[in-house]
Amino acid sequence: MNREGRNSAELIFNIAWIIFGGMIIGMSLELGFGTLKNPGTGLVPMTAGFVIFVSAALLLFFRVKKKASRMFFTRHEITIYFLMLLVFSGWIATMPVLGYILGTFFSTYCFSKVMRLSGWLKPFLLSLGTTLFCYLLFDVWLYMDLPRGILG
Amino acid sequence: MEQLYNGFVASLSFTNFFACFIGVLIGTIIGVLPGLGPTATLTLMLPFTLKYAPETGLIMMAGCWFGAQYGGSTTSILVNIPGESASVVTCIDGYQMAKKGRAGAALAVVAAGSFIAGTMGIVGLQFFAPLLGNWALSMGPPEYLGFLVLAFLILTALSGDSPVKGFLMLGIGLWMSMVGLSAMDSVPRFTFGSRNLMMGIDFLPLAVGLFGVTEVLVTAAEKYVPPVLEKIRFRDLYPNREEIRRSVAPALRGSVLGFFVGLLPGPCAVISTFLSYAVEKKISKTPEKFGTGMIEGVVAPESANNSAVMGAMIPLLTLGIPFSPSAAVMMAALEMHNVDVGPLLFQNYSQIFWTFIAAMYIGNFMLLVLNLPLVGFFARIATIRPFLLMPFISIICLLGVYSVRNSFFDVWVMIAAGAVGVFFRKYGHPVAPLIIGLVLGPMVENNIRKTLMMFRGDFLLIFDRPLALVFFGLALVLVLFKLGYPYVFRSPGMLPKGDGDSME
Repeated sequence: MNREGRNSAELIFNIAWIIFGGMIIGMSLELGFGTLKNPGTGLVPMTAGFVIFVSAALLLFFRVKKKASRMFFTRHEITIYFLMLLVFSGWIATMPVLGYILGTFFSTYCFSKVMRLSGWLKPFLLSLGTTLFCYLLFDVWLYMDLPRGILG
Repeated sequence: MEQLYNGFVASLSFTNFFACFIGVLIGTIIGVLPGLGPTATLTLMLPFTLKYAPETGLIMMAGCWFGAQYGGSTTSILVNIPGESASVVTCIDGYQMAKKGRAGAALAVVAAGSFIAGTMGIVGLQFFAPLLGNWALSMGPPEYLGFLVLAFLILTALSGDSPVKGFLMLGIGLWMSMVGLSAMDSVPRFTFGSRNLMMGIDFLPLAVGLFGVTEVLVTAAEKYVPPVLEKIRFRDLYPNREEIRRSVAPALRGSVLGFFVGLLPGPCAVISTFLSYAVEKKISKTPEKFGTGMIEGVVAPESANNSAVMGAMIPLLTLGIPFSPSAAVMMAALEMHNVDVGPLLFQNYSQIFWTFIAAMYIGNFMLLVLNLPLVGFFARIATIRPFLLMPFISIICLLGVYSVRNSFFDVWVMIAAGAVGVFFRKYGHPVAPLIIGLVLGPMVENNIRKTLMMFRGDFLLIFDRPLALVFFGLALVLVLFKLGYPYVFRSPGMLPKGDGDSME
């Protein structure tokens, strides 16, 4: 990502918070500000929205003034984040069917592959160890009732 | 004394003793590992403590918090990688000592200094907490509100590189705490018709996401550079007479300084280390030697960060106001156990408090015994590669959050928080104000609305409440100081050269 791209990403990030703050203020007004003698439900959320709106606007102002940014995402980072979040989401999607034991095993395997653990034996052993640990911790020690899926 | 004795009896029960051991062990391991900090670990541990009595859970978590401060020094000295942010300063002289073959002595002196600091911190907590608790009983909503405003201002000023970013995060945290049914009038707010949001945004998934998942994502994308481990033998653990003589005073100074800095809002443990290092350098007869392996520069910061943890417990236990993310997690844990922290803690839950104090004495001793002989083992843990550790942490995040309420919604919240947390990390937005805002949001709302109702719209009534006036006055002074600082100190050389971030 070039410098302009980085700057744009941060600008968008700040603009999103300005819009978000504005939305909170609007919704809080609908809830009711009340009076100073008898404050309504919307008073404190509106204050929070105002803090978000003003802070984000100030940050945007400083960012525009500075016209440069030190922080950015590389393509490699974006790919890794995306794959990691995909595995996290996959765990939720498959958990009711596979259950937590198989879900843990497959997710650990996928996590370790995304994190560039080479070969198949090391990820396999890591997944096996993690699954065993989770079984002992959640099932044997803490007696937690987690879904078992196809393992019954 | 009788209460403390009873506390010792309770904390020496098998369950509490074991919980303390597990807490300090996990804490030390986490402290040793670069990346995962004490807050992330405390949030990950939280679901597992719910199966036990409140004091057992509190002991385990406090042991972990304490252990993390302790363990961070090991990698700072041996590998030149701080296990957590409060050990950054230790790297400066600690690693230089290691390069000179004095790693063992540095570790031993740090262990002893941390033990002294921890013990002094516990004595301070034991002495000041009940006194402050009784005093806090006289505080009403205006006083609490004034104190919260002052605390928020200090917090945002000290967190991160820009107070504006701190305010943004605080606003987000406060707003998040408002989602769901209003506590005062049961009106649904920002629920968007979702039944899951009616109960509000739960603290645990958010905290695990912001600290745990974010760390996993960031570490996954980082390039791994294997650390070089300095060798250490058991016989090297004996510091010589000169090193012991030079360490006593810095350890005591660091302990006292750390304890009082711990009372401040914000990253108190980190600040205490920088301050104590600066103090030691200032009063040293050979300040130019700092950075070349001065034992004072190792023992003072490590003592300071240990006693700062104890100092940070005081506002948490006496006022119910956490000043750091770790304290916020502790408060959330107590609330999940239906224990109300605040002035009434000492009346309603005195057994829990004194058991906790006694367990801290035991835990502190346990850390000393555990750390010295096992220093080689802990140092090796630092070399564990992230791709072996992070998949495991990810699974613990997922199962830990899911298991509390068997809710996939909570897991989605955690993942979303983790993804947003990456942006916060990249753009330098401090997460501490968000977490503290989330925890303290209900208290802020309660006190704002009660104060306004008490004053009936007449703000001049603040002059009838001297303590509240002092808090608001201090807050105003802080704001004026912050705004006026760049203009007052504008003369050349008085302001550090930067790119303007600090001015935002």
